[in-house]
Amino acid sequence: MEEVVLKVENLCKDFGKEKVLKGISIDIKKAEKIVVLGPSGSGKSTFLRCLNCMEDPTSGSIIYEGEDLANFKVDINKHRQHIGMVFQHFNLFNNKNVIQNIMLAPVLIQTRELRKNRRKNFFIKVSNLFRKNKKPLIEINDTVAGIKKKNEEKAYALLKRIGLEDKALVYPSTLSGGQKQRIAIIRALAMEPKVMLFDEPTSALDPEMVGEVLELMKDLAEEGMTMVVVTHEMGFAREVANRVIFIDDGVIKEENSPKEFFSNPKDARLKDFLSKVL
Amino acid sequence: MRYKGKNMIDWQEQWAYFVRQWTNNGYKMFLRGLSNTCKIAILGLIIGIILGAVIAIIRVMPKYKLIPRILDKISAVYVAFFRGTPILVQLIIVHYILKPIFGFSVSSIIEAIIVFGLNSGAYVSEIMRSGINSVDKGQMEAGRSLGLGYWTTMVKIVLPQAIKNIIPTLGNEFIALMKDTSVVNIIAVDDLYRAFNLMGGSKYWYIIPYLVLAICYIVLVLIIAGLVKIIEKVMSKSDKKQEKNSKSKGFGKVSQKG
Repeated sequence: MEEVVLKVENLCKDFGKEKVLKGISIDIKKAEKIVVLGPSGSGKSTFLRCLNCMEDPTSGSIIYEGEDLANFKVDINKHRQHIGMVFQHFNLFNNKNVIQNIMLAPVLIQTRELRKNRRKNFFIKVSNLFRKNKKPLIEINDTVAGIKKKNEEKAYALLKRIGLEDKALVYPSTLSGGQKQRIAIIRALAMEPKVMLFDEPTSALDPEMVGEVLELMKDLAEEGMTMVVVTHEMGFAREVANRVIFIDDGVIKEENSPKEFFSNPKDARLKDFLSKVL
Repeated sequence: MRYKGKNMIDWQEQWAYFVRQWTNNGYKMFLRGLSNTCKIAILGLIIGIILGAVIAIIRVMPKYKLIPRILDKISAVYVAFFRGTPILVQLIIVHYILKPIFGFSVSSIIEAIIVFGLNSGAYVSEIMRSGINSVDKGQMEAGRSLGLGYWTTMVKIVLPQAIKNIIPTLGNEFIALMKDTSVVNIIAVDDLYRAFNLMGGSKYWYIIPYLVLAICYIVLVLIIAGLVKIIEKVMSKSDKKQEKNSKSKGFGKVSQKG
């Protein structure tokens, strides 16, 4: 539980003149489940979206694997592959069916990697003609078809896990909200992320369907996934979280274990918030 | 011959004259005119769609860096010029100003295709831009959050949905383009209008040829409108229909598209 995955330091974000985040610092450790609470407009969604640079932070730093994601020069696409994100409105690709939705990103990224390696090998081969001590080639065991097959199998395994294999060839418009959200979660999982960010995953769902999504998230939590969850589900926060943080007015007002957080709130605004919500 | 009033038209005689002209040489001119008109409209639209898509993407791109900003300015000027001047003027500029100055020797029809392509590119870029903006922002965000790049997400996810949304408008643009081709006779392209104009012959009897010309355009437009409707139907089917009737077929499709 000691390894820090994401280290956020003094994160600030302005939208024009409006200051939404005013310096947030937090260490997110491996396998930790953090639930972010706060009144609407407090900046909790913005905070989450800053973590994978969906919104570019105005200042501050987000250290992930020794690199600062807030820096423009860092290849953010590479890091986003390992930071899964689940949205409030699911955002499944409407022009792709379910299985394509899950496979698309891994297949594209892996084939690109493969092509890059092949190109590199070609140049190494050419330059080896003029070298005495030959440079070794990059090992390539995959083919494009192989990558597709591998990812297809993986996608079906993931679908099986949530019990929706029969929906594999269906387009998202025919699915219910709960099904969409669960597919969105496993689409993120297909990239084998190290951190998962959930941006109000149950807020756009019918009350009936909230349960199935939360169930899947609890499953993930038990598997030891590092999770940052923005939600209004207090029950989930109590049950699953290691740490609950309360953001108001762009700063972290309180940060505590769920037990302490709910039974013994210290901040006045938090007390007010909890009295209204619970 | 009995005297006829100034406004009296001998329809029978005129019709006979038209039929004679038609069978004589007219149908050949008609076919050539039709093919030229279609060529200009279709190739113009294809150039326009490609150009329009590129310009639309440039215009909606995030502009943090210098190069997109410069490209954006260039495309803004391009759109302003081609939307701001009539197509007749553009044709004249190319044919009577640019051609003599730079001395390039291309046939008039290629000139017409290029001008119509550039012209429709300007319009299509605006149509595409509205199409891209009509696609939910979340689609781009979802693609980016999975680690795909801006252009990859744009081409694989956003653009196909945008094109589906703008098919009716694009059909409209194609119809307008088809009808606009009637001005290309100004640079001596034998289009549909010119074919019927010549059929007036030495008697200058234009009434029937021009009426037939109007009917020709109406038929062309109706055909295009029908095609657009069919395309629309096919495209809207693709995301509603459940492909459960043939699982193996769908499976193969997945592997091909990736």
